[in-house]
Amino acid sequence: MVFNSIEFLVFLPLVVLLYYLLPHKWRWLMLLAASCVFYMWFVPKYILILLVTIIVDYSAGLLMERYADQPRKKKTFFIISIVSTLTVLLIFKYLNFLTANLDQLFASLGMETHLLTHIILPIGLSFHTFQSMSYVIEVYRGHQKAERHFGYYSLYVMFFPQLVTGPIERPGNLLRQLHEEKQFDYDNISKGMRLILFGFFAKMVVADHLGEYVDEVFGHLDEYNSWTVLGCMVFYSFQIYCDFFGYSTIALGSAKLMGFDLMDNFKSPYLSKNIAEFWHRWHISLSTWFRDYVYIPLGGSRVKFGRWAFNILVVFVLSGIWHGAAWTFLLWGFAHGLLHIVEKALRDKLPSKELKSKWLKISVDALCMVKTFVLVTLFWVMFRATDLEHLKAIFVTAFTNFDGGEQMSVKPGMWIYLSVLILFDVLLRNTRFDAWCDGKPLALRWLIYAVLVFMVICCSSVYNFPFIYFQF
Amino acid sequence: MKKLLIRIGMVLVMLVVLNWVYSKWFFEKDLRKHSDIVELSWDVVDDSCRIIYLGESSNNNYGKEEINHRKISAFTADYFPTVKMGDLTKEASHAQTYLYMLKHIPASSAVETVVVTMNLRSFGPLWINSKLETPLRKQLVLLEDRPPLVNRFLLAFKAYPIKTEEEWNELVFEHWRNDTFNIPNFPWRTTADWDYGMYSYGWYDFNGQRDWDLTALACHYIKTYAFQIDDDNPRVKDFDAIVDLCRERGWNLVFNLMAENVDKANELVGKDLMLLFRLNRDYLLKRYGNLEGVIVVNNLSLVRDVNFIDQDWTTEHYYEEGRRIIADHLAQTLRNFYPDDYHNPDSLKMDTGHYFLDGTIELDRQNPYSMTLVLTADSIRPDWGMVNVAFEIKQQDDLSKPIFAVEKHNSQGEKSIDSYAVNEPVQKNGTWDFATFALPIDSTFRTAQKIKLYVHNFSESPIQIRNFDVSFRPAYLKPRVKAQSMKAE
Repeated sequence: MVFNSIEFLVFLPLVVLLYYLLPHKWRWLMLLAASCVFYMWFVPKYILILLVTIIVDYSAGLLMERYADQPRKKKTFFIISIVSTLTVLLIFKYLNFLTANLDQLFASLGMETHLLTHIILPIGLSFHTFQSMSYVIEVYRGHQKAERHFGYYSLYVMFFPQLVTGPIERPGNLLRQLHEEKQFDYDNISKGMRLILFGFFAKMVVADHLGEYVDEVFGHLDEYNSWTVLGCMVFYSFQIYCDFFGYSTIALGSAKLMGFDLMDNFKSPYLSKNIAEFWHRWHISLSTWFRDYVYIPLGGSRVKFGRWAFNILVVFVLSGIWHGAAWTFLLWGFAHGLLHIVEKALRDKLPSKELKSKWLKISVDALCMVKTFVLVTLFWVMFRATDLEHLKAIFVTAFTNFDGGEQMSVKPGMWIYLSVLILFDVLLRNTRFDAWCDGKPLALRWLIYAVLVFMVICCSSVYNFPFIYFQF
Repeated sequence: MKKLLIRIGMVLVMLVVLNWVYSKWFFEKDLRKHSDIVELSWDVVDDSCRIIYLGESSNNNYGKEEINHRKISAFTADYFPTVKMGDLTKEASHAQTYLYMLKHIPASSAVETVVVTMNLRSFGPLWINSKLETPLRKQLVLLEDRPPLVNRFLLAFKAYPIKTEEEWNELVFEHWRNDTFNIPNFPWRTTADWDYGMYSYGWYDFNGQRDWDLTALACHYIKTYAFQIDDDNPRVKDFDAIVDLCRERGWNLVFNLMAENVDKANELVGKDLMLLFRLNRDYLLKRYGNLEGVIVVNNLSLVRDVNFIDQDWTTEHYYEEGRRIIADHLAQTLRNFYPDDYHNPDSLKMDTGHYFLDGTIELDRQNPYSMTLVLTADSIRPDWGMVNVAFEIKQQDDLSKPIFAVEKHNSQGEKSIDSYAVNEPVQKNGTWDFATFALPIDSTFRTAQKIKLYVHNFSESPIQIRNFDVSFRPAYLKPRVKAQSMKAE
């Protein structure tokens, strides 16, 4: 079930209503059943994959706790759990890519092989496997007690608001909340509704409209000139942001209706002054996952520069591969890692000087933000390209075809939607829409609601753009 | 709780205001943008339009080499020069689309008669679950009879079937696999069985090798036409709704059942498929033909294979002659409503190779021969390879023994007769049915000095024959192993 569908708009109020009507001891069961329905709305049989990972990781958690005083046994169960989860990921996400490349490799050696597989990626696989792994790691480290209730553990992995595209939760936050008895609170309902409304605006009004231009231009590169392609690169930056941010915000809002606080996934990432800050503001649940479970175990930043650079590259390349099984994603991760290293090296070399003038500081910050946005935008092209050939074609057209091809006209409405989004992004730099509304006078608040409701209903794109992160 | 109720009240007030704003300034623009079928209804049907023709691609397709691109609706309009006729044609549309188009014809219009295209294929699972349904159904969301803001809300949240091509195809497969034929002694259980049977036994070429192209085409005909219309068919429900709407608005209603390529269906698949054509046609004629204020124009078998543009697919795209034949047939029906405005423009011009002998003739022992087409040796062109013969037949009982005869006279004055039983295709006594034959033009044809084609009834029991239609065309089929006797796997 997707969030921007009639089905979800019926499903969610029903679940919330049932949640508050039921006594606490039955709520987990209802939420688990609802989560199953939500997931099975896509492809029912894929729930079996979830079931397998849930059983393995749940058992591993219990066994690791039982053998807490026998490190070798504990480690064995930990490794079994991690390997089995990664195997699922490998088979369903990476096997097609691996076999295709093996075929190519053998072909280049003059051997004809037919190893290529055609396995369909179950929706949200990367998200719930990572969430599952975070539980196992936390239990192994002793930071989290193993969950004894199979239902609660299953719900931790399957909680429907964040099941298919995150935020990737940690047991310390979500599992704990699932056990808490939540009371009906008007404030939660109000905040949840605000978040959902704002999420719909970002996804349906901004991202989907931008998607129309992006798909048209990137799909017909030979028809457009460089200015249009460059413009569409910027549009894609906003499309992917609004698409993912919108989904995460709806997820946060949906959980909030039932009193659950999920972790923030975005904090105005395009207002970052450097790539390190960007990753503190973009897909926060994933970047903190890599920080806690890969970067820090590798040594983090408390090592020599060379080793640190290696750690960074490993983390970003893994992050690229996490997003998708293609060379373009790997390249995207590598580019981010490299930029991170270069920026750090430059920062270390240049003398740091506190700027006295406020306006000069603002100007420098603004320039840094523009620089980061431009680089991130260029990198997003790797994310959007269907393959390396397409990537090359986009860059070639973007920088060599200024005189030929068509200039695409953009409807005035698009600029209005984008301006509203940017305005909110600036206003919400260090806060969230639900909290930001709290301090506003009633009339202004309701005026904002009315404008957003009107835009969501009357100005949303009528074309169907699946959430971009569904493919991961 | 009080706070919650106040907020709910505020939300309701806000929605009412937003609905007013949207209706006043945005709705019409959205309708024109996202539901362009309504634009047709608004723009085409002006105050003086008395007849409107609703059609799909059958109305506006023409052969690439044709000079005359006029539509069926335009040819029909020629018969009524004093009556203004509007044309609402939208590719791939069907009864549901027409229903919404009709609903949005302004009340102020002068419309008196509505001609609605009835396409047999549109009742089949292949069309009902076509991938084109997603955009078509999307178009209809804004046209529902609800507050505009609600419609726009449903459009925004995609309240229409969004399916991938694979998902639509899966629905079609389900029908093919699960819909069983409810016909006594019918050799096939489901479309899927039949398709598999044709695929397994199929067509062979001169050398005895499988002709996969022809087999695939035969399978396609099965998949397209092998279904039975019943009361639960969604298109039937739509046509019923059209009947109700037209009654409500006082319009004459004409369902124009379009011609299908029955010649090719008969040649490729045979009598079992012809039986389904007949059963489905009879269902539609029975359901709608007897309703007051509704006329069904039955063109189903009226157009010969040569007049179909697409020879390797199932469509209702006709060459000019086919379009003219249907227009003429339709015009004769419309003449009932507009007798004083009727004017016969031109008699139908038949191309060389197409012979149409109209009129009705009764055959019995005293008068056993039907109208006869006589051809001389020089009228058989070298590029012709096939002849399609079609006529309508009505028999009183099963005792009649009509045959279709091809009589060939050689240069010595000797004659030989090839005869084909006509009874076989006739399913029901006392009603008009159609019979078609496809014959290869072999060397005996080419060497004959004179050829006669006719129906001969040598029994006591009388039969009637009408609309004797013969068309010659180039050969495209190769000899086949008879496929009709196959049994379902």
